[in-house]
Amino acid sequence: MKGTILRGSLSGGLEVRLDIGENIEEIKVGTFCVVEGRTHDFFSMVVDEDIEAANPRAFYDNHSDNPLINEIIRGTGIIDKVKIQPMIAINREENRIQPVKSIPSYLSVVREAREEDVFKIFGRPDRTNFHVGSPLDMEHIPVCIDLKKFIERSNGIFGKSGTGKTFYTRLMLCGMIKSGLCNILVFDMHSEYGWEGDDEDETRKKAKGLKQLFGSKVAIFTLDPESSRNRGVHPDFVVEIPYRSIEAEDIAMVWEELNLNPTALEVIYVLQKHLGQDWLYTFLNMDAFEIKDFAERTGAHEGALQALQRKLFKLQRLPFIKENPADDAVERIMQYLDSGMNVVLEFGHQRSMLAYMLVANILTRRIHELYVKRSEKALGGTRENNTPLVIVIEEAHKFLSPDMSRQTIFGMIAREMRKYNVTLLVVDQRPSGIDPEVHSQLGTKIVALLTEEKDIESVLSGVNNARMLRNVLASLDTKQQAIIMGHAVPMPVVIRTRTYDETFYKEITRDDYGGSKSLLSSGAGGNNSTSSLSKADYEQEMPPGKEFDDLMKELYGE
Amino acid sequence: MAIGEIIASTTAEFVAEAKRYDQIPAYGSFVKVRDGNILVYGIVSGAYTGSLDGASKAKAFFKSIDELKLEQPQIFELLRTEFSCVVVGYEEAGRYHPYYPPSHPGLHLPVEQADDLEVLTISQWFNYLEKTLNNPSGNGEELTAAAIRRAARLQTDPGSYIIRAGRELLRMLNYDTQRLKSIFERVDAE
Repeated sequence: MKGTILRGSLSGGLEVRLDIGENIEEIKVGTFCVVEGRTHDFFSMVVDEDIEAANPRAFYDNHSDNPLINEIIRGTGIIDKVKIQPMIAINREENRIQPVKSIPSYLSVVREAREEDVFKIFGRPDRTNFHVGSPLDMEHIPVCIDLKKFIERSNGIFGKSGTGKTFYTRLMLCGMIKSGLCNILVFDMHSEYGWEGDDEDETRKKAKGLKQLFGSKVAIFTLDPESSRNRGVHPDFVVEIPYRSIEAEDIAMVWEELNLNPTALEVIYVLQKHLGQDWLYTFLNMDAFEIKDFAERTGAHEGALQALQRKLFKLQRLPFIKENPADDAVERIMQYLDSGMNVVLEFGHQRSMLAYMLVANILTRRIHELYVKRSEKALGGTRENNTPLVIVIEEAHKFLSPDMSRQTIFGMIAREMRKYNVTLLVVDQRPSGIDPEVHSQLGTKIVALLTEEKDIESVLSGVNNARMLRNVLASLDTKQQAIIMGHAVPMPVVIRTRTYDETFYKEITRDDYGGSKSLLSSGAGGNNSTSSLSKADYEQEMPPGKEFDDLMKELYGE
Repeated sequence: MAIGEIIASTTAEFVAEAKRYDQIPAYGSFVKVRDGNILVYGIVSGAYTGSLDGASKAKAFFKSIDELKLEQPQIFELLRTEFSCVVVGYEEAGRYHPYYPPSHPGLHLPVEQADDLEVLTISQWFNYLEKTLNNPSGNGEELTAAAIRRAARLQTDPGSYIIRAGRELLRMLNYDTQRLKSIFERVDAE
């Protein structure tokens, strides 16, 4: 791409007249380009394209029979125009990156970005600067995300279904795990992060899970040991939720799934108040007389109580809710996280929204409580600060809808951000369902193709130059293309994401920046990531969780 | 070799009488006049052949030229041809200037055909098109097409030269593509 600045404004973007001979068809919206002004280089993104005639009559004179005239007119009488939005300026003398506060002068030369430009803005890949992909049409040049900044705030990965959200999430998880900057807790609704997941690319079939790539750095927890076993996964721990730990607000969050009305919700609070921590178990085991008795004692409506009990029986059907579980899942998760491991919680067949929301909320609430306490202690100087924790949730609009986000723990985490070193990575296909207030708090967004107007609007809330990015968003490819914007990148950029294949596996498991392993205190088991890990080694790697069978026996008998 | 002699001269245009009534430079071709230490260049923008005195008209005989030469050889002695040229620039001390010379060429100076090298030099600057387009004798589009044909023929890549000339011309025409088309219908890219 070559051209010169034709006109423009700071607020409305710049118009570039393409040089004669340049092919506008090859310039894609989202392309990264540089304007060489007199003293500054302006790093910009192509946001729109258009055809303009110096004399509008020229449009209507048809010269289709005369190729010579067409050749003459193209580029002079009728010009191809590209609209660009400057995102960042660099003073050439001082070599300092600064926000755009002026525009390049008329006739400044516009050119495609080169490798050194990309490095200048996004840095070179290293341990905390994670290579996520490359700019459009510049496939050999890495674009990096600053992971330190990424984990400072809650982030979002959005895109229509089938645009590869799962892959972007896997990619980011790999980057974060490798960097050792934080611990990760994934609520893996469809069991696709821990162990193998389906790869939509026919030639590859299976995509490796985090456990396969990072071995002992990752622990797989499961709610459905049978499903895990069927898929050949040996989970490190089977999660069971005691009735005791279910609180009124957990039930309130899944009111839709349980079909509860506002009265029922109030009754729940009454129950909890009178029955204490074991309210749910006690209530579910009440017979008709006990309910009547309870109603008389507390003034609650008997009919409402009975209806509520019937609805709450649904919870009994969830196999992972137990009266007296063998082990406390939260403690185990914390234990793993403290030893520097990352936890993926698989839901197996328990992939109903009810199960997912209930478990995610209960576990997260307690983990968050622990983190808050620890952070306070850290403030008081009695312990070291927490390793940051990133919690990954899918179908986030269920947790963070405008109605819910004030009640759920996730809304709170998204809002209070990094104060307590716990942040979210929300993955969702309907960003418009997420509370705008939460949206505005998300630090970095990785957005794949969105077509719904409302969704586009919501992901662009709180983003500079949002208007300009609309076209870019709506014109992304359905695969392997995403726009990254926000806190962790100096300017929004459209990338072709890295391919999740053998090359990536090799690179991500290689200890190429030296000493990254030492950042994580080695967890249970040996250290599997070595610099010479070959393909054969991956295949020989034993599935984790040797004590799995013992554990199963302990839990379920022979 | 002189092909004519200047008989009228203005800043923008000069008129020359052809050495022989039937030897006239081609329409749109490039000519030059040496005036002291400068060389004035022009483009032939029109020609006229008539009776010598200018007042009376030649008479029709309804015979073939060969018959006439045999029977009435004297009538050819009474004919003269004038041709007009638009001034496009001048050369001084080995340098070409694509604008009018400081003074118009003097009368009775010999007019010569410009050689290929000179035409190549002149045609590097496209402002000769502006002179042909607005030439005093009207028919600017016709003359411009003729001049482009002449200049293009000498270029190593006539096709691309014509396109470059066309782009320049389109600007001069204030992006009027219809007029551009009417000119370029008379230019055949060989």
